[in-house]
Amino acid sequence: MKVIKTNHKWSELQRYWELFYVLVERSLKVRYRGSLLGVYWSLLNPLLMTALYTAIFGATFKSYYNNSTRDYILAAFTGLVVSHFFSSSTNQALVSVVENGVLLNKIRLPMGIFPVSMIGANVFQFCLGMLPVLAIVTLVKSHSLVNVAALLIPLLSLTLTCTGIGFFVSALYVFFRDLPYFYELVTFVLWMSSPVFYPAEIVPPAVEKLLMFNPLVPIIESVRQISLSGALPDIILMGKAGISSSLILAFGWILFRKWQEQFMDLI
Amino acid sequence: MREVIRLEEVSLLRRTQEELSYDFKKTLLSLVSGKYRKPLKKLVLDHINLAVQEGEKLGIIGANGSGKSTLLKVICGILQPTAGFVRVRGEIAPLIELGAGFDGKLSVMDNIVLYGVMLGFSRQEMKERARLILEFAELEDYALVPVTGLSSGMVARLGFAIATDVQPNILILDEVFAVGDESFKQKCQQRMEKFWQAHATIVLVSHDLNFIQHSCSQAIYLEKGQLKMIGKVDEVVNLYLNGVMS
Repeated sequence: MKVIKTNHKWSELQRYWELFYVLVERSLKVRYRGSLLGVYWSLLNPLLMTALYTAIFGATFKSYYNNSTRDYILAAFTGLVVSHFFSSSTNQALVSVVENGVLLNKIRLPMGIFPVSMIGANVFQFCLGMLPVLAIVTLVKSHSLVNVAALLIPLLSLTLTCTGIGFFVSALYVFFRDLPYFYELVTFVLWMSSPVFYPAEIVPPAVEKLLMFNPLVPIIESVRQISLSGALPDIILMGKAGISSSLILAFGWILFRKWQEQFMDLI
Repeated sequence: MREVIRLEEVSLLRRTQEELSYDFKKTLLSLVSGKYRKPLKKLVLDHINLAVQEGEKLGIIGANGSGKSTLLKVICGILQPTAGFVRVRGEIAPLIELGAGFDGKLSVMDNIVLYGVMLGFSRQEMKERARLILEFAELEDYALVPVTGLSSGMVARLGFAIATDVQPNILILDEVFAVGDESFKQKCQQRMEKFWQAHATIVLVSHDLNFIQHSCSQAIYLEKGQLKMIGKVDEVVNLYLNGVMS
């Protein structure tokens, strides 16, 4: 038996990091059962969807993409990558606090670590699966390593957005257990209102203004500009994505903190 | 003697179980039809004052639902008091319903690290300790087996082994003292004896009054969230028994 030394130098931050690490590891291990090849299953969905959209809409919409089916494929693919990451990571974050209710009733833990670690697990999976594909596409289209590096900025914005939404929905789920049903609707609206498989030009101007409230739109625009346009990264687009994602993160975190003290009565 | 736990005028309001509203649809509809009521709250702990000195063994007794476990949770920092304040000096190890935090799909080894990190240790430390923990739990051959593959007795042994591998300054016990078969129970008791002798502060909840009388010096008696009595263990147990008899 050893005696614990009360080590106050071991900072809170380090404890968060250790917790984050083991929780991410847990969700990856449970998901893939030891085989990291399982990560490549996560590529299946966006690739299949890209093929489907191209088969159905490719011929009609290619006139908006320099009359090139290949450009349509790439535009659909980049949009799908972003929206797929969003829906899967936030859906997993949604249940994370309630799912760990038993633990939270036994040990004092920083509750925010649960949604954050779910996003973290998805980022890890993204880095192994989707990121290399996206980087290759960018390199081929832009012939510039600057663009490949710049890709990380809208992707960081995507992570921040998902973390903010993750905080918000995981807190809300503590109070409303029928939330997944409504959240499915919300993700569907976000998905339909982001120009993933259709060109933004076909949306009537009156409606287009509303689409700007979709937090995924600036991210998708920035990713496409960097990876597909062949031009140097547009700072303004990256800035828009960065600002909107920081606001969403702040919003989610503030509400999570505000509601947090009521959690333990309900889980 | 140093004071390690102090509760001053601690009150806790919690939502009552019947009032748990888990539905967005219902809440929204009741808001629209004007029938929405704010969730009712019940006073679970009522102005508790308590001071525990270093090395003291404190037993908590009272009927079911009198707030015993809730009080432990407040001391552990799992629940925040609605009013009053709690101060704890030193490392607290909670030992409440062992094994509840295990992930069945992960291996025994992974669970040891996961559980240890939750309890506040680093991964490195836990990896170093893992061998001793497995040895104590007599599960050396099961290190890589998922926890779902263990029997319930083995899971309880593992939980006990992890939670008691450390020697905290303050040990919080909720009705768990010995698990497993007879021979393992002996081991548990020996380990618990060590805690008792090691001058650790112990706060425990039990319905086993003999055990409390035998192992604690002080006791408190809770009734409906109020502290009825605090004092020498024999006097408190007598008061409790008289209350139950009449």
